[in-house]
Amino acid sequence: MTTRTFRNRLLASLTAGALVAAAGPACAIDQAMIAAAKKEGEVVWYTTLIVNQLVRPMVDAFEKKYGVKVRYTRANSTVTTTKVLSEAKAGRIVGDVHDGTDGIETLKHAGVVEHWMPDNWKDYPPEYRDADGYWIATHVYFYSPGVNTQMVAAKDRPKTYEDLLNPKWKGKMAWAATSTSSGAQGFIGNILISMGQEKGMDYLRKLAAQKIINASGSARQVLDNVIAGEYPIALQIFNHHTIISAKQGAPVDWIKMEPLGSTVNTIAVVKGSPHPNAAKLLISYMVSLEGQKVFQKAGYLPANPDVPAAVPALKPKEGHFKANVLTQKMLDTELPKWEKIFNELFR
Amino acid sequence: MRLSRALSPPSAVRRFRAPGDQRAWVGWGLAALIAVLVLPPIWFLGAGSLHLTTAKFGQGAFTLQYYARIFNDPRLFESVVNSCLFAVGSSAIALVSGAVLAWIVERTNAPFKTLAWLTTVISLGTPYVLYVTSWLLLLGRAGPVNDLWRQATGNSGVLLNIYSVWGMTVVEGCLWSPFAFLLLSSTFRVGNPEFEEAARISGGSVWDTIRRVTFPLALPSLAALAMLVFIRAIEAFEVPALVGLPGRVNVMTTDIFLDLTNRMPPDFGHASAFSAILLVIVAILLFFYSRLSRHAERFHTITGKGYRQRPFDLGRGRWIAGGVLILNFVVILVLPILMLIWTSLMPFFQTIKPSAFRLLTLKNYAAVFGTDHYLDLVQNTLFAAAAAATLVMAVTVLAGWLTVRRYRGAWVLDQIATMPLIYPGIVLGVAIMQIFLAVPLPIYGTIWIIVIAFLIGYMPYGMRYTYVGMLQIHRELEEAAGVAGATPLEGFRRIVVPLLAPAVLSGWLFIFLLGARVLSVPILLAGPDSQMVAVAMYELWTNGQGTELAAFGLVWTALMTVIATAFYVIGRRSGAGAFGR
Repeated sequence: MTTRTFRNRLLASLTAGALVAAAGPACAIDQAMIAAAKKEGEVVWYTTLIVNQLVRPMVDAFEKKYGVKVRYTRANSTVTTTKVLSEAKAGRIVGDVHDGTDGIETLKHAGVVEHWMPDNWKDYPPEYRDADGYWIATHVYFYSPGVNTQMVAAKDRPKTYEDLLNPKWKGKMAWAATSTSSGAQGFIGNILISMGQEKGMDYLRKLAAQKIINASGSARQVLDNVIAGEYPIALQIFNHHTIISAKQGAPVDWIKMEPLGSTVNTIAVVKGSPHPNAAKLLISYMVSLEGQKVFQKAGYLPANPDVPAAVPALKPKEGHFKANVLTQKMLDTELPKWEKIFNELFR
Repeated sequence: MRLSRALSPPSAVRRFRAPGDQRAWVGWGLAALIAVLVLPPIWFLGAGSLHLTTAKFGQGAFTLQYYARIFNDPRLFESVVNSCLFAVGSSAIALVSGAVLAWIVERTNAPFKTLAWLTTVISLGTPYVLYVTSWLLLLGRAGPVNDLWRQATGNSGVLLNIYSVWGMTVVEGCLWSPFAFLLLSSTFRVGNPEFEEAARISGGSVWDTIRRVTFPLALPSLAALAMLVFIRAIEAFEVPALVGLPGRVNVMTTDIFLDLTNRMPPDFGHASAFSAILLVIVAILLFFYSRLSRHAERFHTITGKGYRQRPFDLGRGRWIAGGVLILNFVVILVLPILMLIWTSLMPFFQTIKPSAFRLLTLKNYAAVFGTDHYLDLVQNTLFAAAAAATLVMAVTVLAGWLTVRRYRGAWVLDQIATMPLIYPGIVLGVAIMQIFLAVPLPIYGTIWIIVIAFLIGYMPYGMRYTYVGMLQIHRELEEAAGVAGATPLEGFRRIVVPLLAPAVLSGWLFIFLLGARVLSVPILLAGPDSQMVAVAMYELWTNGQGTELAAFGLVWTALMTVIATAFYVIGRRSGAGAFGR
């Protein structure tokens, strides 16, 4: 059934794509959906994105354009996913839209997200959308080490994963001890994918001897502590964060240590939500060219290939670096294994 | 102990019974109400810990695997030892510093007493995340203390490593010290000083008097408080996560913190099993505690006799006592607040150093005052915290009275009102969320779900304040009212409530400030229409907006201080009326 629905939708959107091609991509959002969304009047967005940086400009732009009110609440992936699961279990759904770097597969297993894709999904490369047709990526993340430029001179910076094993960095490198892709587990996963199981494990054992500091906050906080000088090197941070901070004068830079790890931020409609059309309209808007430019302006890395990042060098093609995409499916099955390795070697 | 028993005035009427005791139905009604509030989360915890969590977040087959995982963890022994060191150490620090301060402020003629109140009120109003972070900035590897030491000695290491067991213990102790001070100061304030005076007249030194009179009389309060702080430290998440985890000091709750905030999928079976184990530990502690307080009558200090407080004259020692107050003020308040002010003026996280002065900026304050988002947060939070504090104190004044008067079945009240101590905040949040999703009441997603969660979670604190306050009010006052024709409830309203006012006001204030800053309870319950300050602060902090957080935190702390001060001024004035001071 899933395959058939998918094929039907594929056909439908191919036709629709051909039809709207002449009219231009700005008209890609279905008029009937807009009318139905306006009738619903509002949408509740459970988000993991940062309110000041992105949620507020996005909501302002969307409300101005469609007159549909967005009510949002921000929390991390675990908390947001817990809320959606609990509401679905109780049959009293409040949230319409869910986004996050982690959690979408958990929600798919529970059958609580709707099988739906925005009309312009085919503009997105396959790794930035769900093959099963449940989610699409709003933007992408690339994980790299970050360095305090006052504490580590440019010539001394580690450039390869082997360089991280240099004894002079012992006890001076930190990562977030969270079991998400932006923490220690994501780093471990990227190593195993890049080097293979055997060589990867060998490398990780040597890395464990470097006494990596397990920070309890997010990757962003680890970077903040690098900026404050608590430790000179962070192993797994979001590369665009260093640009945002450096703009304010912070002594920080990212290291193009190849291959970088990468994940996407997924967005999906909650099944049986009270405002399904408004939810679809919000997502359609966010992945439209106009919506993607809001991400661009906020310093995020848009998933739509037609919208470059504000600092293009942060993305692989423009920045000339290799990256491993840690897919949602991979995270779903592999993360527990990476976590086990983390617990055995690094805690 | 023997001395205090000898000094305790004999009860004129052994046991007073009113005809057609009104207290019976009040007691049972209250017990039923509290039970309906506090019992359902236990069922949720027990069931959650013994059944597999399914993909749909429901309960699957029966299992013991969550317990097995806890007991098979090779680090369990180490975690238990660390937990005990941490809990014992931090409660000792909180208790000793709180007791010393409370005694100096309430019983001596030392100068600078206002500083102690200022320290308490402001540090209780300071958001937790902010307070711990400022300590980490102060004492961290790059902080000014270690920086100065490196410059002085030319060494490249650190003088103090805060990411250690002692670091955790000191920070947690500092966090609880104001609480201990608040509770013990109400004990010392209403205590009858005539025993102390008698001891002094008989030629006892200040130290003798403290050791043989003051300390034994304060023992039930101290024991109650020690138990409370110990349990909270065993259950603490924030300090173990922020300070312990980076230093690889694992305590029992480290995994739970990660389970509930950072695992995907969230592991509630493990968290529930852990909470169930805590439940057992706490039940054992409560058992010993109730044995300890069985003969509480010994400790009554407010009686029908003349009641007037005269502070100790410490002579020249009053300046030493004043010095202690100043030290407390500087360490607990000035240093962290200075660090916050500095952070709020920086464009990004930076420790205090000369090269950073050129970066000073006011843009964080501009962001705080230029965004209407913050106003909503403030309104919601003030409402939820005030509503919860009022409800808790209303329930626990009655419960405390009935419990201390030992009327038949009252021990049930004490047990169930103290029971929510077993719920770590975030676990309580999960349970409350599930319960209100299941019952057909339109509370989920509104601010009231947070009020109810606070009401349940903070009932034990209200109970401690009223219980400790009640312990000191001798039965004979109500008996006198009874003889004069008052019903027990009239005696309660016209004698107990006014005498209890200082304890009630302290309790209200404490719960209000706690509700305003706590993160773990509302993190799962805050919806689009019920955003809370603490949750928003946590978001700011985890997302690299620590400097804006510092600015908002200081503004918020200032607001809390104004509220708390106003409250205290009113409270002390009405207290003064009740005590003829």
